[in-house]
Amino acid sequence: MQDTATIAFFLGVIAYSVAATLFFLELARREPGVRGAQWAPRVLAIGAVAHAAHIVTASLLSRVCPVESLHFGLSLSALIAVTVYLLVRKRLRMNAIGAFIAPVALTFLIGAQFVGEASAAAASLPRGLLALHIAANVSGVGLFLIAGAAGAFYLVQERRLRKKHVKSGGSRLPALDLLERTEHRLLLAGFPLLTFGVVTGALFVHRLGENGNADFFRTLLGYATWLLLAGVLFLRQAAGVRGRRATYGTLAGVVCMLLVMLLYAVRLGGGSS
Amino acid sequence: MIVVVGLSHRTAPIAVRERLVLGSDALPGFLRQLTERPEVGEALLISTCNRVELVAAGRAGADALERVAQACREALAAHGREIEPHLYAYTGGAAVRHLFRVAASLDSLVVGEPQILGQVKEAYDVARKLGTVGSILHRTLPRVIRAAKRVRTETAIGSGQVSVPSVAVELTRQIFGELSGRAVLLVGSGEMAEAVARLLKGAGTQLSVIGRTPERVAELADSVGGKSLAWADLKSALGVADVIVSSTSAPGFVIDHEMVASGRKARRGKNRFFIDLAVPRDIEPSIERLDGEFLYNIDDLSQVVAEALSSRSREADAAEAIVAREAEGYDRWADAEQATPTIVALRARLSAALEEELSRSLRGKLKHLGPDDRAALERMVESALNRMLHQPTVRLRQAALDRNGDVLPLDQLSLALSELFALASEPNAEEGEDPADSEPRAVAVRR
Repeated sequence: MQDTATIAFFLGVIAYSVAATLFFLELARREPGVRGAQWAPRVLAIGAVAHAAHIVTASLLSRVCPVESLHFGLSLSALIAVTVYLLVRKRLRMNAIGAFIAPVALTFLIGAQFVGEASAAAASLPRGLLALHIAANVSGVGLFLIAGAAGAFYLVQERRLRKKHVKSGGSRLPALDLLERTEHRLLLAGFPLLTFGVVTGALFVHRLGENGNADFFRTLLGYATWLLLAGVLFLRQAAGVRGRRATYGTLAGVVCMLLVMLLYAVRLGGGSS
Repeated sequence: MIVVVGLSHRTAPIAVRERLVLGSDALPGFLRQLTERPEVGEALLISTCNRVELVAAGRAGADALERVAQACREALAAHGREIEPHLYAYTGGAAVRHLFRVAASLDSLVVGEPQILGQVKEAYDVARKLGTVGSILHRTLPRVIRAAKRVRTETAIGSGQVSVPSVAVELTRQIFGELSGRAVLLVGSGEMAEAVARLLKGAGTQLSVIGRTPERVAELADSVGGKSLAWADLKSALGVADVIVSSTSAPGFVIDHEMVASGRKARRGKNRFFIDLAVPRDIEPSIERLDGEFLYNIDDLSQVVAEALSSRSREADAAEAIVAREAEGYDRWADAEQATPTIVALRARLSAALEEELSRSLRGKLKHLGPDDRAALERMVESALNRMLHQPTVRLRQAALDRNGDVLPLDQLSLALSELFALASEPNAEEGEDPADSEPRAVAVRR
């Protein structure tokens, strides 16, 4: 089992690395390359399968449910992002976003190896609610990662068109409207999960009485993420704010979310709540 | 070797080219009639809106190429007196190079256009079905098509759009993606704007036309399949439209900053694309500072076209290099083919002699041999024949390919072999059957 987990981990790392390289090469090409465009998602899918195998075998080995551990939660969020991307890629014609998703998945897969164990205090939290809290956060992170990628690509594509740095023969990037719609839909899908995560997180903080600097900033950033993304969704609905300004808001929210994840990962003593 | 005789956009105006258009009813008779002439062995006709070319090969080798070309010229000129002065003819290596360039779209009006390869393939298929292509064109056309495919896959000669209207539509797709159902407003009635509108209509958009002259607007709306609007509705129409194509002859801005900015709230932040094809400009340039509003004028679009054309020109150089290499490969193959008639005749002569002797022995002293022994004997004779022929085949091919006089010339070797072995003209040799390319044939034995 240990060997299987190790092999799956390294296979995942290799596949994500190759997929990221292929996606970047495809983006860098002057003309669309059919082979690169075909193989990058396939290799990414192989990486996702290996990644899933690693999570299953490693969680069995350590006797931890993947949604009850930050270690696996981080890894799982990247896997969810990759899976969602692979599912929506063809329908939304968003191949280029793989150039963002593949390196992020690789980083999370490797990064999760260095996350500390759960604190003893976390063991006192209700297991069911903790599992739901982590599952909601992990799924939300996966969706927001792709929303952030779509937003980043939106800004690049928008700048290209606005500065008239366009070439005949099309662009490797998806159409502006498609990027904007994808970003909005993923925010809509992820926002209830984020809300649930923030509410349960607040309950846990109150119950554990954690009040260190890292916990304070983490909580603050969690609220900032929620506020920013709620603001983006509200302003779009109420005032039709979209495009560049809405994307800046989305990206700010995603950055806050990533900082929360980073604080989870680096805090001394580690914890899963 | 082949000949190419025809006319194209380079040599003939459309009034002449259209005289040579042969319908699918007339083509079979035309090709059959041509290939029934004594000097023409094979022929196919490439017919596009920009060129009509006969590709033909003779019955009696390279010496007859001029006669084949003359026959083709006469066949084409028979369609009208004005055709003859516009015809060109290429023979031998020049014809091969020309054909490679045509299929690779290097000789096209729009270099890199993709249709020509399909048209060459179709011409070949039609002639093949009619039975008017033989061994030479059967070997030439696949090489031509393969070279053209190489050009398309190894260079970017076919990428990109190269006209202002097509670039405008491509940019619209980069903003909106799927265009089906998008609202397009055509302001004014310029020719280029009309072309853009037609392309957008073809992509499934909802087209409206607005202008100062109601009759002209109605006429244009009918022509492009859109809805006509009154000039007074311009502001409200702008609020609905996703793409605005403007080309009026107004001396000042027809669509100003205030008009665009005031309608933005109703659009709830949705992107909008303005294409200004007018000179002087119709749309105030400052609108592109507004979030979600994109503006391209004729200069911006022309710049994209110019870059695409310059990129194609660079790619055309790479394509020419590929064509040159492929044509060189064809030349080598064609040179080597000159040795084929002698090789085939020599094989036939030796094979016939061995077959006769073997049959005689098997009917006489060796008649006691069983089927296995007979088969072993036949294999041995066949093997010996192949070994005997190996060296002469290699030498003859070397002589055919030699251009430096390092070995005896092919004609001398062929003559010597013909004299020594009393080689007769072989039907297979004329058809260019290549013993090196085919499976070793068993010596047929009469039992």
